[in-house]
Amino acid sequence: MLRAHTTLSAPPNRLVNLPLALCLAGFGLVGTGAAAAENRAAANYHKTIEPLLSKYCYDCHGNGVGKGRVAFDEFASDAEMLAKRDLWLAALKNVRAGMMPPREEDIGRPSETEINTLANWIKYEAFGTDPANPDPGRVTARRLNRIEYRNTIRDLMGGFDFNSEAEFPPDDSGNGFDNNGDVLTVSPLLLEKYLSAAEFIVDRAVPKVPKIIRERMASGRDFRAESGEGNGENLNVKRAVKVARRFTVEQADSYQVVIELEVRGSFDFDAGRAKVICRIDNEERFVEDVAWSERKTLKHDLVVDWKPGAHVVSFEIVPLDPQGQIIAAAVSPSLPTTSAGASGGAATGADPNAKGATPGRDRAFRPSATSVTVRVASVVVRGPLHPEFWTTPENYTRFFPDGPAPADAAGRETYAGALLRTFATRAFRRPVDDAKVAQMVALARDVYAQPGKTFEEGISRAMMGVLGSPRFLFRVEAPVAGGAGQPYAAIDEYALASRLSYFLWSTMPDEELFRLAEKGELRRDLRAQIGRMLKDAKAQAFVRNFTGQWLQARDVESVPINARVVMGPNAQRNRDGRIEFDGAFRRMMRSETEMYFEHIIREDRSILDLVDSDYTFLNERLAKHYGVPDVTGDNLRLVKLPADSPRGGVLTQGTVLAVTSNPTRTSPVKRGLFILENILGTPPPPAPPDVPDLEEAKKNFEGREPKLSEMLAVHRANKLCNSCHSRMDPLGLAMENFNALGSWRDTEVGQPIEPAGELITGEKFADVRELKRVLRQDRKLDVYRCLTEKLLTYALGRGLDYYDAHTVDEIVDRLAREDGRMSVLIHSVVESPAFQKMRTQTPGRHVTLSVPPTSEIHP
Amino acid sequence: MKTPAAPTASAAEQRLLSLNRRQFLRGLGACVALPVFESALRPVAQAATAPAAGAGLGVTASGAPLRMAFVYFPNGAHQNYWWPTGEGADFKLGKTMQPLAPLQRSIQVLGGLDHKNATAGNDGAGDHARANATFLTGARARKTDAADIRVGISVDQVAAQRIGHLTRFPSLELSCDQVRKSGRCDSGYSCAYQYNLSWASPTTPMAPETNPRLVFERLFGAGAPGERQSNFQLRQATQKSLLDFVIDDAHSLQRQLGRNDQQKLDEYLTGVREIEQRIQRAENFGALPDPRADTPAGIPANYGDHMDIMYELLAMAFETDSTRVSTLLLAGDGSNRAYPQIGIPEGHHYCSHHRNNDDLMEKIGQIDLYYMERFAKFLQRLDAKKDVDGKSILHNSMIVYGCGNSDGNRHTHDNLPIVLAGGGGGTLNPGRYTKLGGQPMSNLFLTMTDRLGVSGLERIGDSSARVKAV
Repeated sequence: MLRAHTTLSAPPNRLVNLPLALCLAGFGLVGTGAAAAENRAAANYHKTIEPLLSKYCYDCHGNGVGKGRVAFDEFASDAEMLAKRDLWLAALKNVRAGMMPPREEDIGRPSETEINTLANWIKYEAFGTDPANPDPGRVTARRLNRIEYRNTIRDLMGGFDFNSEAEFPPDDSGNGFDNNGDVLTVSPLLLEKYLSAAEFIVDRAVPKVPKIIRERMASGRDFRAESGEGNGENLNVKRAVKVARRFTVEQADSYQVVIELEVRGSFDFDAGRAKVICRIDNEERFVEDVAWSERKTLKHDLVVDWKPGAHVVSFEIVPLDPQGQIIAAAVSPSLPTTSAGASGGAATGADPNAKGATPGRDRAFRPSATSVTVRVASVVVRGPLHPEFWTTPENYTRFFPDGPAPADAAGRETYAGALLRTFATRAFRRPVDDAKVAQMVALARDVYAQPGKTFEEGISRAMMGVLGSPRFLFRVEAPVAGGAGQPYAAIDEYALASRLSYFLWSTMPDEELFRLAEKGELRRDLRAQIGRMLKDAKAQAFVRNFTGQWLQARDVESVPINARVVMGPNAQRNRDGRIEFDGAFRRMMRSETEMYFEHIIREDRSILDLVDSDYTFLNERLAKHYGVPDVTGDNLRLVKLPADSPRGGVLTQGTVLAVTSNPTRTSPVKRGLFILENILGTPPPPAPPDVPDLEEAKKNFEGREPKLSEMLAVHRANKLCNSCHSRMDPLGLAMENFNALGSWRDTEVGQPIEPAGELITGEKFADVRELKRVLRQDRKLDVYRCLTEKLLTYALGRGLDYYDAHTVDEIVDRLAREDGRMSVLIHSVVESPAFQKMRTQTPGRHVTLSVPPTSEIHP
Repeated sequence: MKTPAAPTASAAEQRLLSLNRRQFLRGLGACVALPVFESALRPVAQAATAPAAGAGLGVTASGAPLRMAFVYFPNGAHQNYWWPTGEGADFKLGKTMQPLAPLQRSIQVLGGLDHKNATAGNDGAGDHARANATFLTGARARKTDAADIRVGISVDQVAAQRIGHLTRFPSLELSCDQVRKSGRCDSGYSCAYQYNLSWASPTTPMAPETNPRLVFERLFGAGAPGERQSNFQLRQATQKSLLDFVIDDAHSLQRQLGRNDQQKLDEYLTGVREIEQRIQRAENFGALPDPRADTPAGIPANYGDHMDIMYELLAMAFETDSTRVSTLLLAGDGSNRAYPQIGIPEGHHYCSHHRNNDDLMEKIGQIDLYYMERFAKFLQRLDAKKDVDGKSILHNSMIVYGCGNSDGNRHTHDNLPIVLAGGGGGTLNPGRYTKLGGQPMSNLFLTMTDRLGVSGLERIGDSSARVKAV
């Protein structure tokens, strides 16, 4: 590019470059700009970059030595050299993270200026990124994942909760997250489920008729005894009692009273008998003679004319003797009527016929005493019954805001069109055209025009169609046409609203986002909107889904860990008296991680708190497990940690420590790998296929059972293993003081743990406390970069590519300038070109299109 | 009123498309004589009497349905305990295969089948993902975390695409692995490779169903016994009324979007078409089979129970001839499940890297045995059930039980642990331990699709020939 005059080490000046960039992009279209840019990139390579590579890299990656299959001096041509984007991206990462050149090679570190020179050449020349207008990349239309589907249905369908986790197969994840468009495939099975779900959801969420008869339901518990204890849930036939319930109506009309009583006898026969008298407003409506039976339901359907005011439905039990005579003595309001008391108590007190009843003996010894009980299963009052008094069903106005449909066909059609347009606009998250509305109306009409079908049933059918449509199931962004020389353009505001709401809420945009998008004012109001969204309870979805995957906090709910083996037989027992990594404990750990992350958002703390801090969220059980004193009660809350506590930061939370462990022991390798991948962002390449047996290492210990750390040390002595394990193991071994469930320990197999170590970049640490400090202070740029990459991947729903290097760097620079605050990170991600823009539809949009695609990645 | 030209044209186009689609379906109905059930639980040798369907497609010589299933267990097998001694018809089952002893005459142990495409090649680590992805495809999985996942069409889908129209369901994909690891899967491979056995195309995995209730409802309808038929019909009618609408929507979108999004819509449309065809077929098949059983409650807490019930559902699907092709992924390769129910608190994957530690090796043997006991129970059930031709269902089946890793400790992919159960309707020669001397596992696939009457297949995955000796 036309930046040959600028020194490569200085970041290009945006203001100067903006017109140039536009100009260049224009040239790109006619095909000469790209070639010219390549020539300049090659010229600068030979002039500035080659000497640097020669100085720092050729010892291993040149002059005939091609370690790791990388040689910088064997490119067949400049074009081939420039095409190796993955190589340059790896070089950029490795040099900047201090992994290359390796310290032990005594080559010395490149200076800051030299590193910047290399970085800028890679980003702006080899990759051809225009810093003023970087390539926003391409996001595949994303299918809603299970969580997004559930949340979207909740917001679209008036709070309806559809258990998508149970009904849909699990989503695959890519690049670490399950919102990645590339892997969210649609199998025939899933489509079948989508259609069934559409039907199921609409069927339950949308009213089928405009008016319904009002219903009030009462159960046994609502019927109180007029004197003494007890309710209609459990009435012993041997005890005279009367229970009643008041129903208040506003309208004078006929009402239907539907009564269901249940008679239940104990397993063995019992001679108990009674009359059950039902009265409404003290007028006897029916009498039932009840006696022992295993289970019997008595139903009565009555119609009453009620005036406005209170009306009383009551049931009276009148005990009878086996001959059917009333037992006067049975009236004993002081007797208990709970189920336990009723069977024993009444039997001894009042019934001489009860089997084995021996007055005076302790009731507790006869748990099998027989009984007959009556339960008021339900009393439903339906009414007023006359149609003019019927009421509107719940949620009706949400779906039918103008009330019931008019009678005439044209009016119905107009109404259907209006309703469905609103519904589909929300469901598709952008306006729908008239043709689509007409199709929906036709679908609705096909149903409601049938005899016996309601208008609402017709609308429901069209809504099912909407929920089965690809425009609902996929987040589709309207393509933007590029003007002359504009390879990238801003996505429209509806797309922006969706990107925002699925990023921060995992659900569809709300009314306010829609309103702003409609007026074209969302972009202008972005900062305020992000602030508002993060304060909303729906932002919990972001915390949960992002930490759930970035830190694998989801997995703590299922990771198989054997608490008896890990904690030993004398460990703290749970409420069931067992030593168990139970569900409640797992959820506590997950909550700790989530509350911690949420705290950093809410308080706008530095994201470095994720690595090290002096606080966490605990309750009594978790605090005991961690060895933190003075925390009582079940509620997790913010706890300031003692000065010498090793806790604070996600790495010392139960979640991370457990998900990186094996079922019976820790795995320093997994833990080290976890830090490299998720905190430092410098994952080692995967292990080679022929890993030498770790067990081989045992030979060196002459029969003694070696510690894991000792075996790993032998493992590292192998050159092949060393290159990666020298990076992973020290990190993992520093965390050996935490067992597989995250409890502190000082020894392993009877020997003291030696947590001291050194990072590949040379920083030394004595234990986990110092490791965290090193990460927070010395490697903070790595932490910034890693989290930026993770968050950008999550927000965009795609893996990052070479053209994102510039964007990531910009965000990292901003974090470095602004104390790493969480708000800076979130805002920067939303404001980034990758989030705000898309590639346009114009062909020939890539300035670097002439460069052939890179070959297979080799890490 | 001025109407823009484009929408008018597109509406006309849409009408045309939907017309073509209906014609397509009518055509399908006319040229394929679809089987009709005489009674729900009695599959009839209908396909054989349907001349248009091709002689012997999906049926045995005696006219009974011929079924094919693949069952996958994870992490390879304890080598010494797995392999039999002896050879041919004169062999003695190994330690972990003891549960198969009563069925020894109905199974073949196959040695010497390899999956070269599951080896590292130039792709480095990721043997578990590859073992899983290659197992039924015989293809090399593209090493990618997300973008452009690609492996190959799997043998079950090759068969389903050819014989699927004979049954209500072209194929059934099942799994007992419902908990997935968050974040990344094996060494830079997309999780899609590790949790799917079946691939409808090189880029579309067939996500398996893990919930027994949902499998049951799909096969036999939702609701209590007696209500299922009417529930099913109601649902079919509703779905049918929605199809034109959603297809139009997909087509109009398709015109709008870029290449990669096209692929997503293709997946969508394929799914819709399959539903259409299924509705069409259902009309021809008549009443749903009624297993006169309660719907299962959901996923059992105990993994063994989960496996048992999935096997049970698979057996029911075969007995009712609801499908003739199925896959069952017991657990994705690399599974680190613990087995406290048999006294193994450690994870399976951890144990499988036993590094020749006796204790861990013993545990691997126990896990292998645990899996095998369940498989044997399944075979016994199929063996006890009479098919329409008087033979057992097992006789009229070809069931592969195996893993894409042979030695979990070293991640080898040659001499895979494979059992081929069933008589293939009399076309297989069970009761033997056959050493096949190192040839692609995919050769076995071709042999099986041949038996199903699928003609004209030159290769599947990396097949080089057909296995002669089974």
